[in-house]
Amino acid sequence: MTRLWRACLAGRRAKRCSGRSAFLALTLIYFLLVAACLGSLAREGELSLGRNPLRNLLKTAVEFARPSFIDVWWGNPEFAYRSDDGTLLRVENRRAVELDYLAGLVGATWTTIRIATLGSLLGAVLALPLAALTARNLAAPRPLAWLAKATLDVARSIHTLVFGLVLVGIVGLGPTAGILAIALHSMGSYGKLFAESIETLDIASIDAVRSVGAGPVQVFFNAIWPAVLPQFVSSHLYLWEFNIRDSTILGIIGAGGLGLLITEAISLFQWGRLATVLIVVVLLVASFDAISRRIRLALL
Amino acid sequence: MSTAASSAAISLQAVACVADGRTLLDIDELSITEGERIAIVGHNGAGKSTLLRLLSGFMRPAHGTLEVLGHALAGPMPATELRALRQKVGQVLQGLHLVARLSALENVLIGGLGRVRGWRGWTRCYPAHETEQAAQALQAVALLDRAHTRTDRLSGGEKQKVAIARLLMQRPRLILADEPTAALDPSAAAEVCQLLVQAARQATLVSVVHNPVLLPLLAERVIGLRQGRIAFDLPLTDLDHQELANFYRQ
Repeated sequence: MTRLWRACLAGRRAKRCSGRSAFLALTLIYFLLVAACLGSLAREGELSLGRNPLRNLLKTAVEFARPSFIDVWWGNPEFAYRSDDGTLLRVENRRAVELDYLAGLVGATWTTIRIATLGSLLGAVLALPLAALTARNLAAPRPLAWLAKATLDVARSIHTLVFGLVLVGIVGLGPTAGILAIALHSMGSYGKLFAESIETLDIASIDAVRSVGAGPVQVFFNAIWPAVLPQFVSSHLYLWEFNIRDSTILGIIGAGGLGLLITEAISLFQWGRLATVLIVVVLLVASFDAISRRIRLALL
Repeated sequence: MSTAASSAAISLQAVACVADGRTLLDIDELSITEGERIAIVGHNGAGKSTLLRLLSGFMRPAHGTLEVLGHALAGPMPATELRALRQKVGQVLQGLHLVARLSALENVLIGGLGRVRGWRGWTRCYPAHETEQAAQALQAVALLDRAHTRTDRLSGGEKQKVAIARLLMQRPRLILADEPTAALDPSAAAEVCQLLVQAARQATLVSVVHNPVLLPLLAERVIGLRQGRIAFDLPLTDLDHQELANFYRQ
């Protein structure tokens, strides 16, 4: 008995030791990777902050600190553009111009919301059957499960922007490309989250419903659906919010919306306008976050 | 088929269950007549739950013949026949297993799902007479006032009562109860046992029991399992309490 106990203790010790040394080795590899990244960048001279980082920072901060929408109230109504020799080229009412820009901004925001909303919904719908196939506890046929998992992994690993670029080539410029890009990329994330919620299901309660002689569809709607619905809605709200952020970038490749305005502002060095657009993005994401948090709390 | 065999609710012959190379159950012969009340006793891992899973068609034996309510369960079985059998077999499982986010009434209505066909069973829009029956079942277990409470907000005893109301709704011919009173206080356990016996008035009742006090409430015949084999099979009146205590001690 004592020998058995000793062997057991030794086994546990050996397991613990091998676990610890594996963790140490992984930590070491991680720090070596960090050192290699830092060292190689430093050797290539790519770690510099430029010639005048502080002055540039200050300048950018000052430009950003004056968002363009302020001009709607305090802009110069007779702003004169002159050539180098002082000739008057044209006079512009800054207030009217910025008011027009704000109107355009509202339209672009609506486009972004439409891309994110429809893209998220399409992604969720596409992901649902794939998640059911991937979830281990539902025991789908192995080749199908493998195929579904591979599809989700590929979708998740390709960035929305890459999907967008390819889709603009296929369906042309406009929100459709954006919607499809968002749907295809977020399908991967939805599939993973949905499959994980299905895997946390209480299998015994499903068996209890099966045990009364219920058919597969009845089991789905009476045991699986009520249990996973809150988690599905929660995942949907989370990814929807994420996609609103993501769809602002899609404008860069021609899907329209806020991203287009961001690209314009950056190319023309209009930091004031960029600040205005970014404020809208932040407000949009923050308000969506607040709403979705309330809905999530109400659902649990 | 003899008359005795035709009135048998359950009959097992040379049945063995194996998982991961380990024999979970090895029964030479067991016959349970319709309307009998049976208690199965034994240590944890003795094969009690395996036997119940076998009888409800959730597990198949490695070999042997097994017949439950006239359905042969040993070989492969069409899904429709399995569902038809499950409609007739009611279960109260260890740890209850109600659908947590549904109300007590909706959980009771699940008991009648075998009878509800088509879209009504998918959308949980049950016919009025089913809802009426479910309400009656809840009233029978004195829980009608909690009908619209979500089951994850009910107490342990109340949940077990909902499981029994689901059983009443199902109207099964065979009831399998796996430790129906586990985690209940003594008075709640006795109440649940009485309700279970009432539900089983028209049915055969096979229950796994640990508490000897509950045996007279639930059984007239006691089967002891040890390491997957039948150690004893006696009428309750012949079972000595000391003998039972020794059985658990071994």
